[in-house]
Amino acid sequence: MAESKSIISFLTVCCFILPTLLFAAIEEEPHKEEFNEELLLKPLPDRKVLAHFHFDSKAFSSSSNGGYHLHLFPKAIYQLVHKFHIKEMELSFTQGRWNYERWGGFDPVSSSNAKPPGVELWAVFDAPPSQVDALWKNLTHTLSGLFCASINFLESSTTYSAPDWGFRASSGNLRYGSLPREAVCTENLTPWLKLLPCRDKAGLAELMDRPSIYRGFYHSQRLHLVSSGFGSDRVDSKIELEQTLTVVLQPTTLRWAKSYTPGSGMQPNWSISTVFGRKINKKCVLAKSSNLYLQLDRGLVSELKNKGTDSDSATAESSITNPLFELSSTPQKVIREVDNLKDEESSILYMFDIDKFADAKPFDLAFSWKLPVVWTCSKAPLLANRFLMGSGNERGAIVISLKSVGHRPSLVGTGASEDRCKLHINVFQVVPWYVKVYYHTLRIYIDGQVQSAANVTRKMRVSPSEDKVSSGVLELALTLPCSMKSAALSLDFDKGFLHIDEYPPDANQGFDIPSALISFPDFHSSLNFAEDSSVSPILSRLQKRSPALAYTEVLLVPLTTPDFSMPYNVITITCTVFALYFGSLLNVLRRRADEEERLLEERGKYIITCLLSGITNM
Amino acid sequence: MKEEDEVKTKSSTMKEKKLTRFWEWAISAIIFRLILIFFFPDHLSQLASRPEVSTPVTSLRRLAEGYWLKKQASISPYAGSMYHGSPLLLSVLGPLTVTDVDGQSSHILCSLLFVIADFVAALLLRATGQKLQSAYFQSSNSLGLDKILGASEIYASGDISALFYLWNPLTILTCVGSSTSPIENFLVILSIYGACTRLVPLAAVGWVLATHLSLYPAVLGIPVILLLGYGPDSPPKKLFLQKNSVETADHSSDSRLHHVKQGTDSAISSFSWKPIVLFILWASAWSIYILALCGISVRQNGGLQEMFKRTYGFILTVEDLSPNIGVLWYFFAEVFDFFRNFFLLVIHFNILFMILPLAIRMKHRPCFLAFVYVAICSMLKTYPSVADSALCLGLFGLFINQLLDMHFSFVLFCGYVGVNLLSPVMHNLWIWRGTGNANFYYATAIAYAALQIILVVDSASAMLNHDRWLRKLTTTITKT
Amino acid sequence: MPLKMTKLLPSFLIYSLVLISSYNHYNVNVVTAESTSSTSTTMHTNNWAVLVCTSRFWFNYRHMANTLSLYRTVKRLGIPDERIILMLADDMACNARNKYPGQVFNNENHRLNLYGDNVEVDYRGYEVTVENFMRVLTGRHENAVPRSKRLLSDEGSHILLYMTGHGGDEFLKFQDSEELQSHDLADAVKQMKEKRRFKELLIMVDTCQAATLFNQLQSPGVLAIGSSMKGENSYSHHLDSDVGVSVVDRFTYYTLAFFERLNMYDNASLISLFSSYNPNLLMSNAYYRTDLYKRKLDERGGVGRAGQDKD
Repeated sequence: MAESKSIISFLTVCCFILPTLLFAAIEEEPHKEEFNEELLLKPLPDRKVLAHFHFDSKAFSSSSNGGYHLHLFPKAIYQLVHKFHIKEMELSFTQGRWNYERWGGFDPVSSSNAKPPGVELWAVFDAPPSQVDALWKNLTHTLSGLFCASINFLESSTTYSAPDWGFRASSGNLRYGSLPREAVCTENLTPWLKLLPCRDKAGLAELMDRPSIYRGFYHSQRLHLVSSGFGSDRVDSKIELEQTLTVVLQPTTLRWAKSYTPGSGMQPNWSISTVFGRKINKKCVLAKSSNLYLQLDRGLVSELKNKGTDSDSATAESSITNPLFELSSTPQKVIREVDNLKDEESSILYMFDIDKFADAKPFDLAFSWKLPVVWTCSKAPLLANRFLMGSGNERGAIVISLKSVGHRPSLVGTGASEDRCKLHINVFQVVPWYVKVYYHTLRIYIDGQVQSAANVTRKMRVSPSEDKVSSGVLELALTLPCSMKSAALSLDFDKGFLHIDEYPPDANQGFDIPSALISFPDFHSSLNFAEDSSVSPILSRLQKRSPALAYTEVLLVPLTTPDFSMPYNVITITCTVFALYFGSLLNVLRRRADEEERLLEERGKYIITCLLSGITNM
Repeated sequence: MKEEDEVKTKSSTMKEKKLTRFWEWAISAIIFRLILIFFFPDHLSQLASRPEVSTPVTSLRRLAEGYWLKKQASISPYAGSMYHGSPLLLSVLGPLTVTDVDGQSSHILCSLLFVIADFVAALLLRATGQKLQSAYFQSSNSLGLDKILGASEIYASGDISALFYLWNPLTILTCVGSSTSPIENFLVILSIYGACTRLVPLAAVGWVLATHLSLYPAVLGIPVILLLGYGPDSPPKKLFLQKNSVETADHSSDSRLHHVKQGTDSAISSFSWKPIVLFILWASAWSIYILALCGISVRQNGGLQEMFKRTYGFILTVEDLSPNIGVLWYFFAEVFDFFRNFFLLVIHFNILFMILPLAIRMKHRPCFLAFVYVAICSMLKTYPSVADSALCLGLFGLFINQLLDMHFSFVLFCGYVGVNLLSPVMHNLWIWRGTGNANFYYATAIAYAALQIILVVDSASAMLNHDRWLRKLTTTITKT
Repeated sequence: MPLKMTKLLPSFLIYSLVLISSYNHYNVNVVTAESTSSTSTTMHTNNWAVLVCTSRFWFNYRHMANTLSLYRTVKRLGIPDERIILMLADDMACNARNKYPGQVFNNENHRLNLYGDNVEVDYRGYEVTVENFMRVLTGRHENAVPRSKRLLSDEGSHILLYMTGHGGDEFLKFQDSEELQSHDLADAVKQMKEKRRFKELLIMVDTCQAATLFNQLQSPGVLAIGSSMKGENSYSHHLDSDVGVSVVDRFTYYTLAFFERLNMYDNASLISLFSSYNPNLLMSNAYYRTDLYKRKLDERGGVGRAGQDKD
């Protein structure tokens, strides 16, 4: 009896367990939602530390699955993609200016994360061209509600533009807008963090101490969205959301530490807790992988070699101590860059898996220097700056100056010989309508000599600004000789005059011209690794070939202001003048001298008597 | 005939007195302009950007930009809210603005063209003045006032107005200051000259082209028609009728009086329709031709509708609020949006309303009517500049004899000098130094407008007073 | 003995009720507005808060701190972010002049960072205009405006409207370039009442001559508190020499001092709030207008209105 009972119970249990197992097996789809979080730390040559948070979230839908099942992927983003037919979108909030000279301009992190100050939004839509503007308008409103920023100001046609080839290589249906004066603060970070599955309660996002982040020299939070195959519901489609936060911080707690001068001594020691003020306490269980990378630049690695460290021992597993620096924890993996050209060293990545560390105690990584080291980051071929010329509030000139960097990074796909070597750059600039640019005054100087525009310009597209309707777009493709030292482009402009309603409340501060973008289509910064990088989003991002980009400064243009307190006075005075003219001229015309007056009076009396008699007769 | 010959010799002697001096003065004015163009190009380029000289409608720099957009970027010249002029002007002046290899624009060639335009305009003014003078003598002769008028000095109004036009600092500024106004002024003077001398094709082409370039000369159609119909300025018809009636009442059979009566009959030429019909035909032919040319040149870029919207629409709707010597820029910068259209209507109505009363009151003096219209337009235009007042003052010189008794001539002279000196100072304080504000410059603009009002009103009243004086003279003569 | 007590209990209750009602009758204000069915019969459904700081520029730090203090208080006492509309006319926390980036203090002891980690600002910078403020109150937005920027209250909502900045006789300055006038505010409230967007509305204004802003209010169910009377200024409380500017206004400081003593479950009455204002400390006479408000201001009774001026 007991045996049969046990057999029956066993069978019933199996009946219950097996289906669930089967179900689980069926549920085990090849593609599921995925969330990865990673942090890249990099010491910078000027005593600062770069921290780059990278959160990657993928959602898949297949026809067999019946659409999207969203557990980790934020629903708000899915609705955004679905409602506005977005193919690709990037929204960045930045404060501070990326220092291309000291922090590098030719590595994947800087080319995709060095952004212009304020808000930058661009989107590619998967819709007929006639609907794109309406979709863009609604998108800006939705994003402004989602991220607590005034992105809705980008809805008016005076703030956004439709670049052709100057901004991104491909693209129809691309819209680009930028708000240079937008403040970036905690209220923008809060909803951005709410899109993460673990928020800022666990995992790498725990480190985001707000005062530490906003104390930094540069911080940029970025959201990049790619959706593929979203056209029809029956096709497999995928949405990938990439959220990055790039911060450049000073490790010392004293704000008034000595400013950087090259060769001024030891770099400061830093650790995660001194940089952020926090440690990683809990790991995010929803993350598929949670890694921390410490990157040593190519320049730093070559300094390592020069200081006598053997390159082989530098890649050994137990490399937490070496003559130059010391790490407090042992990395799980040491990844070396491969396929690099011969003349430069390869950079090294140390990988720390948070899963292994955070269980025992809060994870803190300390980096201490042993010897003073000076190195430089790899820079883009040209350093771009932009400034205004002229004084007064009537006209001026915009100048973009490009200076050649002494050491040129390896060229990809250009001519071998020096004299036939050509440097191709694209210039993309959007200018608001009240800065009325005279495009015929475009002058290009190479090494101080004026050049004929036809020789230097490969392609040019100008979309002149229309008053109060659209802004002026300049897309320029230039070919410059490699041997040049400096180049400059200058454009004259006239300053416009606005209606009093069009001035912002602090009109005397001036108006902003958004950053121009200089891109180097021939120079692709990427690091190749021997490892399989499909697992790690940062590694795959570092391996992606992205063209080197450089954003110039935002220009502040003071415009004259009318007297805001005088609308009624002006209207009444002007109308008085008109009335003066009207009345006195009519008076002069009407006036008759004595005889004529008598004649007219008599005639008038005669007419009146006729009329009266006529009336009385009737 | 004998008396007419006497009069002619008298006038010819007077004219001869100033003839040699006229040509000297005129040539030296041209040389002065050429010196300014060739030896002071930097100062000129600064001058070119002064708002009093170049407005958004007439600026040569904007024309260069429009030409560049058309030629280099292959987009419509109107694409960028920069150029608002005629496409024909673009084709004529555009190539002249591009001189250097690398596309640097310099305006020397254009300035030479403008000097030529100024010179020809001065000559036309002189010819018009001479025509008006001879008509004046004829009419005063037929009224029997020649003895009284012959005693007083008659100025050769043609010479005076031509020299005044050439040597007026405002005209010189316009000529060398890189704005396209000298051509517009030349066309207006051409149409008035054509109408005075009854050369209908000339009048038609001048009027059509002037209207095409800047909208406001359209109102000059009425004085041109009156000029063609009635002939040049003469005292009011009433005086002739009065004289005739008195003479017929005399029943005198003196041959001399008969002779005079025939003269007066011929003087009261009735309104002749033939030149007017001819004018209308010529004007329509020219306008169709111009529109066809424009249509061809803007065909790829939006067609004629776009052209009208960008040129006349821009002038009428005051889109650009840059400061100029008028008052409308500040007005429309401060007026509430709700009332903008209303005030646009009011301002344009101000010009249109005065056309009829003036025409009625001064139909016997069509040339003076043209001057009054030009003065009113230059004051109430949406984008005025010193070129308009240069034209107005040039035409003012034609009537110097009749307007000698203006009340406020000294005030006007001082006012013009003062405002023209003060206005750049206020502009500098506001824009370049930042120590003044817009109200300073606006105050000079208001003063300028007030001066122009005084000019118009005073000259109109002086002319009407002159007519009254003539009537008084004729009544006294007839009574005696 | 207990039996006697139980017999006496009902009569005691009746007596106390009569006493309380008589006290309330003695203390209640004259009711001038008609009682509509909506205010008396609709249930209280939710609470909303609209917090507006109308000043820009760094020297108006204290107005931002005022608003953020109330934001924090309101959140602490239970209103979630979805039901708070926060309008800040300028950015102080990440301002280049702020020595403590990401932090806003309302006290020189810097004990409390008002900005915190989770702040959501709905209208920022140039968006804080009179037009947007009126649109928020009346609910008349363009179609594209997202839900988080709308006041989605219904007829059972209790709304707190707090405004701070610079003001004067019957106006409140927005961003130093435009004004909200008392009749604009009264119109907006009237529209809100007609559209049944609130059951009770508490308006608190901390500006100079704040009381004058309520002169035109006529809608029932509105309670208005102003920091000063006509002709009086409202002053700041203290200067923080570290941050470099005044960090809080007196009226808000003492209001916060009152609310800090409360938690989510307290049932304090408005009369106790009013009585906590001391004109000597405020350096102005706090004003409140209760004639449009029909509910009893206190539940306990007996606390008179001595010392508070009305109109």
